[in-house]
Amino acid sequence: MSHTDSAETVRTAGAGAERWAPRRGATGRLLAAELRLVLGRRRNQVFVAGLGLVPVLLGVMLYLTRDDPSASEGSPLLLAQATQNGVFLVVASLFMCLPFLLPLTVALACGDAVAGEASAGTLRYLLVLPVGRTKVLVTKAVAALVFVEVAVAVVAVMGLVAGAVLFGLHDVVLLSGTTVPLAEGMARVLGVVVYVGVSLTGLVVVGLFVSTLTEVPVAAMVATVVVSVVSTILDSLPALSAIHPYLLTHYWYGFGEFLRLEVGWGVISSGLALQVAWIVVFGTLAWARFTSADISS
Amino acid sequence: MTSTTISRRARWGVPAIAAAAVIGGFAAQSLLSAANADELPETTVAELVTHVMAADPQPLSGTVVYTADLGLPSLADLGLPNGLDAIAPARPTDLLAGTSTMRVWTDAADRSRITLQSATSEFSVVSNATEAWTYSSVDQAVKHYTVDDPARLADLSKQAPAPTDLPTPGGAALTVLAQVGQSSTLSLDPQTTVAGRSAYQLVLTPKSTTTLVGRITVAIDGKTWNPLKVTVWPRSDTQNPAIELGFTDVTYATPSDQVLTWSTPAGAHVEEVVVPLPTNDQLTSAAPTITTTGTGWDQVATVTGLPLDGLLGITDPTDSSGKPDTHVPDLARDYALPSDDVPQIAQSLLDALSTPVDGGRLVTSSLLSVLVMDDGRVLVGAVPGDVLIAAAR
Repeated sequence: MSHTDSAETVRTAGAGAERWAPRRGATGRLLAAELRLVLGRRRNQVFVAGLGLVPVLLGVMLYLTRDDPSASEGSPLLLAQATQNGVFLVVASLFMCLPFLLPLTVALACGDAVAGEASAGTLRYLLVLPVGRTKVLVTKAVAALVFVEVAVAVVAVMGLVAGAVLFGLHDVVLLSGTTVPLAEGMARVLGVVVYVGVSLTGLVVVGLFVSTLTEVPVAAMVATVVVSVVSTILDSLPALSAIHPYLLTHYWYGFGEFLRLEVGWGVISSGLALQVAWIVVFGTLAWARFTSADISS
Repeated sequence: MTSTTISRRARWGVPAIAAAAVIGGFAAQSLLSAANADELPETTVAELVTHVMAADPQPLSGTVVYTADLGLPSLADLGLPNGLDAIAPARPTDLLAGTSTMRVWTDAADRSRITLQSATSEFSVVSNATEAWTYSSVDQAVKHYTVDDPARLADLSKQAPAPTDLPTPGGAALTVLAQVGQSSTLSLDPQTTVAGRSAYQLVLTPKSTTTLVGRITVAIDGKTWNPLKVTVWPRSDTQNPAIELGFTDVTYATPSDQVLTWSTPAGAHVEEVVVPLPTNDQLTSAAPTITTTGTGWDQVATVTGLPLDGLLGITDPTDSSGKPDTHVPDLARDYALPSDDVPQIAQSLLDALSTPVDGGRLVTSSLLSVLVMDDGRVLVGAVPGDVLIAAAR
């Protein structure tokens, strides 16, 4: 896979708008090449396939133990609901993946994005292209984000399929005990999936920044996972409650708001605002680093 | 293109500016919400109290945050499972310590819904004039409370308002105001903003110097006279309140029927609980007898004949079908402990919370002391433990 095809010639001379069109085409090609790189990488495909097995394994486990109340007793993982309604297997699967597997997905994409190319010696060739470094960085961020969203979508779709096969799809019982029609329930679960996907954006940008700091992809991957794990640990220490609302992972579990009787938009908008804040700060940090660094490999 | 016009070093200024803008954005947000509120006209303590007492209950919905810092050992210290916030289920016992978030809806008449929330679970209490339901999303257990004689309950409730299962700012404020005449100094603090509403702040300071309670402030909505926030400071610590109970958002409108009515979800485990109304004889001579000594804030209540074992969950409850019930939300049950361990756990909980004193065990917190005597008497008061021990003699 290479980026050499993204150089673009101006085919038609004419109005200014037409002269810009080929440049947009170049960006599109750069992005397409980057996406092919990320989504086509064998280890990424294997990882996403493995991630898709999580809902299936979780569903089968719940199916086999559904008559044993002690298996899910006291567990808040929405597992009890999942055995009665396959729709909840989507939420339960995302819940299971959110603490570690999804941050690992982010790490996998981000570690390779810049540090991986630097380590393979391909980064300097990429920068030879007639495309600014800012555009290269944005392209890499978008490609990494697309990979993460694909992973989230795979977990959600596999959860829905496994849930439908094992437990069937029924009217949805919300956390408050109110029953809503299946269509509304599906819309709420879609809200959960989108929220989880958006919640990971901040970590993608942090991971990309870390990736610009090193030429060792594994270091960038480990650092990205560590950021999310440390954030979760800090979030659980009552003594640090003053900084909790600003921690990257603080509102990650806010997806539960979609399953309440009245959706808690306050928590959801706080979660989205927090992600924007992290994206702005670490996005500009990554930009400053990537556009000012001496890249020799 | 910017990357060619800004020097390398200057580029690092961009994230610094971005960080400053983000911090500024968060700060401006909290300032704006405070500045949005209108200035209220000046008032006096007497006017304010009159308005509050005269105001009709408001139909409303809102979010209530409750924070307790009573100086009790945390649940983690007691060796009970207390995992990450996001994973911990919503339990009524959360109200003992830490911060809890609740949503409340009421039509100001007799229908209401109160929900104790954790990130991924809820404990709901839905009630109307004669019935109540509790629902825990963790185990999908429904408890349906009815009384054996609804007609008589209606008569009784006309005489005295029924207490709610979970605290609300309105109820707490009325309790506070009931104490006013006895032994407190009332004053006003500067106007404040609670849940985006301009509010007066009424301050109660106990005249007694014995009581553990230092100061209580009640924030009162300047337009609807609805109490929005109650804060209790212990005498021992003027910086950190022991209890804070207040709205973080509030909407004055009658909630929809969907919110205020209960419908049991399919597949839920329903336990019917019929609460026998006490007969008039029992009302006049209730089984546990309460005597009080002292006045005002120094009052000590002495309870005798209390079924202590039942209180601590050392019972063997069976549901209507006669099977052992696995869905009792009592203290020990909420921590998903095997029922065999329950008496032991209850005992160790009492041991951990209390210190042995001559003739009993003493539980002290920053606001309240409880003395459990070996002879079955229980003494409770907002006073230091020594006062209870002296009263027990």
